[in-house]
Amino acid sequence: MHVADALLSPVVAGAFWAVSASLIGFSAQQVSLEEDGSKTPLMGVLGAFVFAAQMINFTIPGTGSGGHLGGGLLLTILLGPHRAFLALASVLVIQSLFFADGGLLALGCNLFNLAFIPAFIAFPFIYRVFAGNSASPVRRATGSMAAAIAALLTGALCVVLETTLSGITELPFSSFLLFMLPIHLAIGIVEGLVTLAVVSFVMKTEPALLATQPASSKPRFIPLLFTLAALIGGGVVSSFSSSLPDGLEWAMARVSQQEKVYGRGDNVHDLFASLQARTAFLPDYSFKISDKAVEKTATSASSLNSGTSVSGIIGSLLVLLLAGSAGFVLRKGSPYGQRGIANSGAK
Amino acid sequence: MKDINILTPRGQTLTPFLSISDHTALILSAMFLLFVLSVPKYNIPAVISYASFPLLLITAADLPVKPLLHRLLLLSPFVLIMAAANPWLDRRPFLDLFGITVSGGVISGLVLVLKTMVAMTALQLLTHLVPFNRLAFALKGVGVPELFVTQLLLVYRYSFLLAEEARSMKKARDMRSFGGKGKGLFTTAKLIGSLLIRTTSRAEKIYMAMTARGFHSGFVEKKATPLFTGVDIASLVVSFLGFLVVRMVFIH
Repeated sequence: MHVADALLSPVVAGAFWAVSASLIGFSAQQVSLEEDGSKTPLMGVLGAFVFAAQMINFTIPGTGSGGHLGGGLLLTILLGPHRAFLALASVLVIQSLFFADGGLLALGCNLFNLAFIPAFIAFPFIYRVFAGNSASPVRRATGSMAAAIAALLTGALCVVLETTLSGITELPFSSFLLFMLPIHLAIGIVEGLVTLAVVSFVMKTEPALLATQPASSKPRFIPLLFTLAALIGGGVVSSFSSSLPDGLEWAMARVSQQEKVYGRGDNVHDLFASLQARTAFLPDYSFKISDKAVEKTATSASSLNSGTSVSGIIGSLLVLLLAGSAGFVLRKGSPYGQRGIANSGAK
Repeated sequence: MKDINILTPRGQTLTPFLSISDHTALILSAMFLLFVLSVPKYNIPAVISYASFPLLLITAADLPVKPLLHRLLLLSPFVLIMAAANPWLDRRPFLDLFGITVSGGVISGLVLVLKTMVAMTALQLLTHLVPFNRLAFALKGVGVPELFVTQLLLVYRYSFLLAEEARSMKKARDMRSFGGKGKGLFTTAKLIGSLLIRTTSRAEKIYMAMTARGFHSGFVEKKATPLFTGVDIASLVVSFLGFLVVRMVFIH
């Protein structure tokens, strides 16, 4: 369920980054207040445990297909919300850097969907309500299943919201939601079952492990504040940003006192403009739309706005070729150009 | 890769052109990704042009292309589904390519895949040029809480050790499994539970060892180093201008 960088607009990615970064700061502050250094290595190794546990796959009953533990809810049950959020966040950072899961700018969204929701929503509002501190297997089973399913479904809803707000996909909101929710319901059921089975095993063999997390005395509206901030940041700001010019366009318009920046019309400008027109072998990056396209676009209410054309594509490929060749030339003058170092870097 | 890291001054990233601080490399990567993400969804030339920056680094630093390409093949299925859906949902004729009319959905799907590939390559380059421990310290340099940096370092270090343990447990289970028996969800959950118990007992030993060596709350060095040197600022400005030029030329 990791969101990739390319699926997000900078505004949505930035808004969720701001919310998730604040959550890291908030959680780190809360953990520091506990002043319990012994749990620092526990957080670290439990983060690493998530990676390791994901390597042990299992057969999903009734389907024959394979699956693995997600670990969000399990870590929260073991560590409590603040420590679990930090542990899950560290796992997501490493996944984005080394396993190509998500991306650097999508980290904000992924932390929100995969760490904030299980740690700060599903655990305190669902698992704790159902399971409480009771040892009753029925209450624990209900809590695990309900919390895991709710975490997965809410996460999937957030993915749909973030991607739709970014305006990258053509999928309509409702179709996208209908596609995502059933899949994540199934994943949630499996996650709930594994979490329950692991918690039950630990309860029988090492019950002390489950008593490590402190009873939360923090007001429960804090997670809601962060959710609200994410919705305002991701939703409201992105809806404004789509209709307003970007920062550079705004600044240029303010300076020039007009919406578009045109040439000044003086002699020097004209001279360079005509020179450019004569020398350009790929003139203008405007569309070369087919006749059919012109007709259809004229009748269509919406118009496509971009710089893609055959000449544009060829131009960009030439830039790519130039950059690649420049790299080869620069290699000779750089420390990488020395054979020994270059080889050690390559192998 | 290791040798390059030994040769670079401590806390400095050796790019093919100059040595910049690790946090500058981190900021530069984030800035580049922001520019790539801001490419409109129908603009192929802009994405291809932005690909020239990582390509320049790859060729100039003689970085291994094969592992990078291999990693690119691991494109998220989620992205591929989204990209594949676009041609079905947006059939407006968009471009006349040698007599063939290409729809807007094909273009936007292609842009999505290309953007993912460029973003992934940029991240791969960052992790190639800056080792993880220094990347974590660089995060501290840009204001990330010390506790989280310590957490990152611990997770990274112990992932390898626990992965080895998980691998041998899985191997032992698979060797005793006949016709898929014993690989079910509930049996495997017990295996995961055992791994969890081993993990927590390992955490206790680690804590005792760390305390014996003077650990208090984090690993991050207290030594104050200047955040940005002149070279760092110049690299950031020049890169920003380069990214901006591509934007101004290819995005109207």
